[in-house]
Amino acid sequence: MEFADTPEQALLRDTVRAFAARHGTPEQVRATMTGPTGCDHHTWERLARELGLTALAVPERYGGAGAGPAEVAIAVEELGRVLLPSPYLSTAVVALALSDQADPAFAERYLPGLADGSLIGALALDADVVSAGGTISGVARHVVDGGLAGLLLVRAGDQLMAVSAADTAIEQLNTLDQTRRQALVRFDQTPALLAGPAAPVIAMQRVLLAAECAAAARHCLEVTVEYLKTRRQFGRPIGSFQALKHRAADLAVAVESAHATARAAVWTAATDPAGLATLAPLAALHCSRTFVQVAAEMIQLHGGIGFTWEHETHLYLKRAKSTQLLLGPVSGLRTEIAGQADLLPGRRG
Amino acid sequence: MHAPDEQAPAKQAADKQAPDEQAFRAEVRDWLSANLSGEFAPLVGSGGPGREHEFIEQRMAWERRLGADGWIGIGWPVSAGGRGLPWSHQVIFYEEYARAGAPARVGHMGEQLLGPTLLMFGTAEQRGRFLPGILAGTQLWCQGYSEPGAGSDLAAVATRARLDGGEWHVDGQKVWTSLAQFADWCFVLARTEPAAQRHRGLSYLLVPMRQPGIEVRPIVQLTGTAEFNEVFFDDARAAAGDVVGVPGDGWRVAMGTLAVERGVSTFGQQLGFQREFDAVLVTARSTGALEDPDIAARIAEAWVGLQVMRYTALAALDRPAADVPGAEVSINKLIWGTWHQRLGELAVDVAGAAATVVGAGYDLDNAQRLFLYTKADTIYGGSAEIQRNVIAERLLGLPREAR
Repeated sequence: MEFADTPEQALLRDTVRAFAARHGTPEQVRATMTGPTGCDHHTWERLARELGLTALAVPERYGGAGAGPAEVAIAVEELGRVLLPSPYLSTAVVALALSDQADPAFAERYLPGLADGSLIGALALDADVVSAGGTISGVARHVVDGGLAGLLLVRAGDQLMAVSAADTAIEQLNTLDQTRRQALVRFDQTPALLAGPAAPVIAMQRVLLAAECAAAARHCLEVTVEYLKTRRQFGRPIGSFQALKHRAADLAVAVESAHATARAAVWTAATDPAGLATLAPLAALHCSRTFVQVAAEMIQLHGGIGFTWEHETHLYLKRAKSTQLLLGPVSGLRTEIAGQADLLPGRRG
Repeated sequence: MHAPDEQAPAKQAADKQAPDEQAFRAEVRDWLSANLSGEFAPLVGSGGPGREHEFIEQRMAWERRLGADGWIGIGWPVSAGGRGLPWSHQVIFYEEYARAGAPARVGHMGEQLLGPTLLMFGTAEQRGRFLPGILAGTQLWCQGYSEPGAGSDLAAVATRARLDGGEWHVDGQKVWTSLAQFADWCFVLARTEPAAQRHRGLSYLLVPMRQPGIEVRPIVQLTGTAEFNEVFFDDARAAAGDVVGVPGDGWRVAMGTLAVERGVSTFGQQLGFQREFDAVLVTARSTGALEDPDIAARIAEAWVGLQVMRYTALAALDRPAADVPGAEVSINKLIWGTWHQRLGELAVDVAGAAATVVGAGYDLDNAQRLFLYTKADTIYGGSAEIQRNVIAERLLGLPREAR
C-alpha cells in the first residue's frame, strides 16, 4: 500500500494547488457561490482545457490522459482544500464509471466530452424511478451539480441509467453549502441507456469524497493552528494554553488518521477495486466524520470571528456536514461495513 | 467471520510484497512454527499487559532461543551483531510473531531501548560488553526513568548518583519498573550534578540489579496482579565507566532513543488487538449481545477503528524519517490507547452481568482484565496528555507553555 505521492503525482499536486490558489481565492469562491450557476465557467474551462484535469479520468483512446483514480483524487483534494465551486468530482466519477464499464459505442459518445470538459456529468443516486421500454420516469433528489450537468447517471435499483439532462426537468435548489449546488430532477418517459451496475460507481464517489474530506479537514486544521499561534490573549499566544493545544492535537490525530484512511482507499481504488466494498464505506464514514469534527472545532477555536459570515469557517462546516448527510445515515454505512466484515448477528465465524 | 488471516495486516501487506519480503515472511513463519512447540508450546498467547507474571522462566528460556537463532536485533546493523534488516522486514517479523501467538517479550527493554541507545551514544567498549548479551537473550534490562515525583515531568528526577572511589554511588527510588525482579541490569536516569536544574546535570547510568544496594518491591495493580515494581537504590554501585554519553548529558541520551522509534512494533501489537476484538465478537454473537443495536454499532466502530489504526501506522512509515520524529509515535499511541480502552469497555458490556463475578483468588477473565488493564493505556509510556503536548509542539509547532 502506497501512501505518498510519486514524483509525477507530487508535480500534479503542486500544479493543481497553484491553480487553486490563483482561481480559488476566498473572494472568487464567494463570488461564484452566490452567482447564477454556482460555477465560474472561465475557471472550469481553464481547469479542463489548460490543466487537463477532466482528462485524468478518461483513457487516452477517448481523448483522455489515461491516468486514474489516484490522479483524480489529487485534483479533488487540492480543489477541495479551497472549496473551489466546480462540478469536477461529479464529472470525474461519471468519467471513471463510463471508462470502466460502458460498451465502446457508449464510451465514444460521452467520454471525449467528459475528457475536454465540454460535457459535465452528475450522479443521481437518490432516485425514485421506474424504467420501461428504454425510458425512465420519476424523480431524483439532491442531485449534486445537477443544474450544470449534460449527462446524468441515474440510479434505478442496482443499475445506473445514462440520461441526457436536456431530456429532463431540472429545478435548482438553494443549498446549505453554497459552494456545491444541487438540483431536483424529474423524468417523464425520458430516454435512458443502461450504463452498468451502481455499486462500483458509488464506491468510487465515496472514495473521492473521503479524499476531499481529508484534504479539506487538513486545511481547516492548518488555518486553525495558524490562528492559535497569532491570536494573543492574556499577553501570550492562545496556542500556548494547554486547553487549546490539546484540542488541536486531537484534531491533528483525527486529520492524520483520515488522511491515511483516504490514501488507503484511493490506493485500493487504483489497484484493487474489489477491495472497495469494505473500504469505500469505511473511508467515507471516517473521513466525513473527521471533516465535520475539525470544521466544527475550527469555529470554536477561532472564537467569535469563527462565527461570522465573513470568515471561511462556516463554508467548511457546511461542506462537511452536507457531505456527511448526503452519504446517508452513519448507521447505514456502519451496517454496510459490518456486513462486509462479517460483524452482523446470526452468522458464524 | 473471516479467518484472522484474511483481515490481518500481514495478508494485505503481503499482496504487493517484493519476493525477498515474501521469502523473509516464510522464513519467520517456519521458524516460529518449528520452535513454538515442545517445551515452548504452552507459551502461545502468554504474557503481555496484565499477564506479565505468566510462565516467566519459560519465557526467559524462549528469549534465549530467539537470540540463539538470530531473531533479536534484526534491525540493528550487521557490524553490531544485528541483521541490518529494513523496517519493512521488521514489520513482517512483528506481524508473524503476533500471528503465531508467540509469548510477550521479556527482552524488549534491552533490544528496543538500551541497544539502540548504545548504538547511538555508547562507547565501543560498552557496545562490545552489552550488545552480545542482549542479542543472545541472556541479559535482561529494565528501565529506571519514572519516580514518585517524576512521572509526566520526567526532568524532575531526584535519584542521585555521585562518583566516589572509582564508582557511582546511587541513591533514590524508581517506580513503575516493569520486569525489574527478573532484570540483570537497569538503565537509570540519575542526577549527577546536584546544583543543576531540570534537564541538565542528569546522567544515563548502567546499574547491575543483583547487588545489596538494590531492593525491588512489586506494586499490586487494580487487576490484582503485579507487573510493575518499585526499585529502591541505597548506595547501589555502578562502575565509573558505565555512563552512556557524557556525564550530565543523560537527558539528551534518554530522549535520543525515543526520537528514532518509528513504531514498527505497533504492527504486531495490532494483530494482538485483532485477536482481542475477535474474542469480543465471538462472545457478542454467542450470547446474543450482538442483537442489541448499541452493541452492534460499537462492534462495527471498533472494527473500523482497528483498520484506521493500521492505515495511520502504515502511512507514518511511508513518510521520510526526518519529518517530525516522535510525533508519529504520539499519534499512534493516542489512537491505540483510546481504541484499546474502548474495547475493554465494550468487552465487559458484551459480557453483561456475568462480568461482575470473578474467579477464586480474584482471578479475572479476559474481558475483565481487558477492561481494567486498558485503563493504564492512556497513562504509561507517556500519558495521553503528554502525547498531546508532543503533537501540539512538535507536529503543529504551537508554543510551549510556561513550565
